[in-house]
Amino acid sequence: MPKVLDQSYEELIKKAQILFWKQGYKGTTVQDLAEHLDISTSVIYNKYSKETLFMDSINYYITTCSDPFLSQLRESTTGMAGLHEFFNGLITALETKMFPRSCLMVNTVVEMRTENAEIVNLYDKYFDSLITSYGIVIDKAIASGEIKHADKRDEYAEFLLGVIFGISMIFKASGSEACKLYVKEQLSFIE
Amino acid sequence: MRYKEFNRNSVLEKCIPLFWATGFRACAISDIVEETGVNRFSLYEEFDNKEGILYAALELYKERYAQANFDVLKKEGTPHEILFQFFNSFLNGKQQDGCFIMHVGTELADNDSKVQTFLKTYMDEIEQLFVQLLEKDSETKADSAFYARNLIGLFCTSVSFCLIHPTEKRERHIKNGIQVILNKKLNHA
Repeated sequence: MPKVLDQSYEELIKKAQILFWKQGYKGTTVQDLAEHLDISTSVIYNKYSKETLFMDSINYYITTCSDPFLSQLRESTTGMAGLHEFFNGLITALETKMFPRSCLMVNTVVEMRTENAEIVNLYDKYFDSLITSYGIVIDKAIASGEIKHADKRDEYAEFLLGVIFGISMIFKASGSEACKLYVKEQLSFIE
Repeated sequence: MRYKEFNRNSVLEKCIPLFWATGFRACAISDIVEETGVNRFSLYEEFDNKEGILYAALELYKERYAQANFDVLKKEGTPHEILFQFFNSFLNGKQQDGCFIMHVGTELADNDSKVQTFLKTYMDEIEQLFVQLLEKDSETKADSAFYARNLIGLFCTSVSFCLIHPTEKRERHIKNGIQVILNKKLNHA
């Protein structure tokens, strides 16, 4: 569970998150953080550490960015339409530059891979919550008859896990129209 | 011909793992000097700037490493088998797991139009190879472009989040993805 942040620390993490999002973990120096957060490097070394600020930035992303999206998806009563809305919502967020840069979670996993056990652990949990959420929506779509193959529920949930990674890369390479087509077609495989 | 004290490609060969492990932004020119043993003036003379080294490294990676993986797609076999081998070729290579071009693309394509173009060309090329593979099979022939577009998504996945998973889990995800995509007609019959 992400720790409860007090007001000032939360402000700090909000700022740190934007910097990590733009520059990545390795591309952000303690000096960059100090300037951006308007605190001294020694405070970072002694009180927080770059790694803690990073982990809390990711946790903050999950709590404030990803979880609300996912709970909305889980609570959706419309099955397939809920999935379309969810993925297209991500594209809109990329288009409108609601995010400082494309998905923080995707960028981080490519940058850090298995180098940091804590991050791997965090990702495992994140993927589990994605799969669970997809499973819940798939069940609804099966119940309403939108998905015919009830026996393929788990295969489909696993398949959907890949979609956000596709969206992120396809958006970078080819832009939002290609992304929208991709979402529409990917969902056609389970409908 | 200008006399060069260093071999261009062997410099780039050292820069690929360096950029890959450290990240391009985090990599200072002094790191490149240390890694390659070539002084910064010679590096700048040959490549103009740090970005120039990166662009040349991307080209070399594509020619030397990605190309070998592309050849898998030209082999004989069912699309299921060949695609599985292709995705895996990026995960069991001589270098670290994943794809250098997709790695650099993830870090820089948002802000660097040359990297963005390179990434797009690269992904389009893979998509074309998928089309050629799928056209050879009677089951997938008619909708080869459709399947190919969607298999690109699976490629993105296999070189991004699959990297944190152990082999067994990666392979399961890739197999599952190929099946869901290529069995569309079967599932919708």
